Amino acid sequence: MSSMTEARSVGDRTQCISALFDESSLGFFFAGTEGHIEYLNFEAARIIGFNSVGEACGQSLQDIESVLSCGLIEAHRSALKGRTFRRNEHRCTNRNGHFAVLSLFCSPYRNDEGEIDGLLGIIQDVSESYGRKSDLERAICELSIMAEVSDALSSAVELEKVIRIILTGVTANQGLGFNRAFLFLVNESESILEGKIAVGPSCPEEAGQIWSQLALQQKSLTELLNDYLERQNAASSPLSLLIDGWRISLSEPSIFNRVLNDARGANVCARDLDEPSMEILRRLHTENLAVAPIISKGKRLGLIAADNQITGKAIGDADVQLLQTFANHTAVAIERSRLHDDLVRHAATLEERNRQIAESQEQIIQIEKMSIIGELTSSIAHELRNPLTVIGGFANLMLTAEAGQYNSEYLNIILSEAKRAESVLHQVLDFSRASRTESRELDFKLLVSKTHELLLSKMRRSQKQPVLNHSDRKMLIWGNSDQLQHALYQFMALSVEEMTGECTVEISTHVEDGRALMRIRFTGAEQARKKVTTTLNQFFGSSTGTQKLSIIVAGETIRYHGGSFGIEGSAGNMPGIYVELPCRNGGKNA
Amino acid sequence: MPDILIIDDEDHIRKLYTDFLTREGYSVESVADESEALKILSEKEFDLVILDIELEGESGLEVLKRLKSDHPELPVILNTAYAVYKSDFHTWMADAYLLKSSDLNSMKAKVREMVGV
Repeated sequence: MSSMTEARSVGDRTQCISALFDESSLGFFFAGTEGHIEYLNFEAARIIGFNSVGEACGQSLQDIESVLSCGLIEAHRSALKGRTFRRNEHRCTNRNGHFAVLSLFCSPYRNDEGEIDGLLGIIQDVSESYGRKSDLERAICELSIMAEVSDALSSAVELEKVIRIILTGVTANQGLGFNRAFLFLVNESESILEGKIAVGPSCPEEAGQIWSQLALQQKSLTELLNDYLERQNAASSPLSLLIDGWRISLSEPSIFNRVLNDARGANVCARDLDEPSMEILRRLHTENLAVAPIISKGKRLGLIAADNQITGKAIGDADVQLLQTFANHTAVAIERSRLHDDLVRHAATLEERNRQIAESQEQIIQIEKMSIIGELTSSIAHELRNPLTVIGGFANLMLTAEAGQYNSEYLNIILSEAKRAESVLHQVLDFSRASRTESRELDFKLLVSKTHELLLSKMRRSQKQPVLNHSDRKMLIWGNSDQLQHALYQFMALSVEEMTGECTVEISTHVEDGRALMRIRFTGAEQARKKVTTTLNQFFGSSTGTQKLSIIVAGETIRYHGGSFGIEGSAGNMPGIYVELPCRNGGKNA
Repeated sequence: MPDILIIDDEDHIRKLYTDFLTREGYSVESVADESEALKILSEKEFDLVILDIELEGESGLEVLKRLKSDHPELPVILNTAYAVYKSDFHTWMADAYLLKSSDLNSMKAKVREMVGV
């Protein structure tokens, strides 16, 4: 009687469940306490892989679990203990061999008395939404990588830095996750593709070491990029040496050139490849390579090649697509870096031009000043020449006249002073004439030589001739040839006219601290030393005289050309004269 | 006795050269500007003209052009304080170029060379 009651009760229960769930779009099933399927609807039968509901009824959960491995036994055990069971997004293959992603929810089924009679389960095929979710996650991941790399690139303008960020992004596990990455850039002038830099481990041992360290550190992509940027030896890493100096002709029919010409990435496998392409794979010790061209506005800039040589993981088309997206981003960064380099170069050129213009303007102002001074002195000198001619001329006339006999001493003094004043005028007029010539590059030694020759031509035979010794070094200066020659002549003439009777004179040229130097040295006895000291103090000191005026004019000329002059030597020793002028290019030409 | 005309706007220069050349045995007349010079040249013949370049208000080079146009055979010595005029093409019309100086010997030599006495 009790078993009949029980059978009726089971039938009622099944009918009741059937009425509720037969038409549901979710899969429902019911298993008794013994773990056999007593009811399932059509959707549940389809998901598990039964051809009909009838075929499924009576099957044990154990049998179904052996196919789906989705936790049915554990779910049954939990239900009998009054607990629910949930498993989400379980990937498996069903009885028909179809891949599916399932979600399972099971709960205990209680009878009217509240006792647990079995397990009521809901099974759902979420393959489609799982795929969409997976795609979405991948897209988010890609966007996140791009955003981080983009962030790093936004502050990088040096090509080297840009390249390192790019290759780090390709190889970091938090990035594209390739094992190794290589960057090749097009050299347009030579029509070649050049290996630039590579990032990644050179062998499995190194890979193990690096990756275990990275796993421990758990750094973000940004932190990794910063770490890589701090390392300065990436260019000389063993992997970089693999491609360092590698030049591939752009006319060679290899996979690299095809990728560049087609402007499309490729998943290159060591199958059915031409020899040049096989050679590339052999040289990189790989059999599967993702290659993406870097192209900006139709211009081929280079390519990125990446592989999983260490892990051996096959490269999928999606990986190539991602690498291509990355390469497109890279093209912009490289182009920007090159534009920045151009800009820096142009800015430097402009800066140099501005400096030259400012220098020229300064020179023009100086030349104008000198020109005005020259005109002024010339005008004054000419105005003085007429009265001097009159004074000297009449003194001459008086001397020759009878009356002049009584005042000949005074008249001779007037005549002598008039001649002396005329001599000063002559020097000033020489200087003013020199002011009108233009500045140019001059050979300092040649200038000294010419001045020395001029000095010798004007010397009396009885005078001791000064010796000239030149430095072996070349000395280029910038200035007005006539003015400088006039100035140098004044220094030389002073030395010879005032002192050669007492001592010998040596004129020499030198280069010291980027300056061209003319030295006038004297040799002689103690008496000569005293004479030289007195004379130099007189001419370079505060006393007055006609020679002093010529030294003042000469000194101004030297100072105007950025030089200096003076007396050198220590107390008690023979003093000398030096005249120095700045060498062109700081004496680098010397 | 050769006749010499001095054209110079400075009184003292004219006086100096007149006295000097008279002592040297020449017959000397002097004027201060072009108009006086042209007037005296139309009245009397001269053997030599000593001409200053920087005349007051006029250029001695223009006077030289006029003299050489009206009296092509008359020798002219340009006498100036400006050495720079020596390189001026217009001064080449003159027969000699002399720089003013208290030393009158150069003038004496040049005058003798021009007039032959």
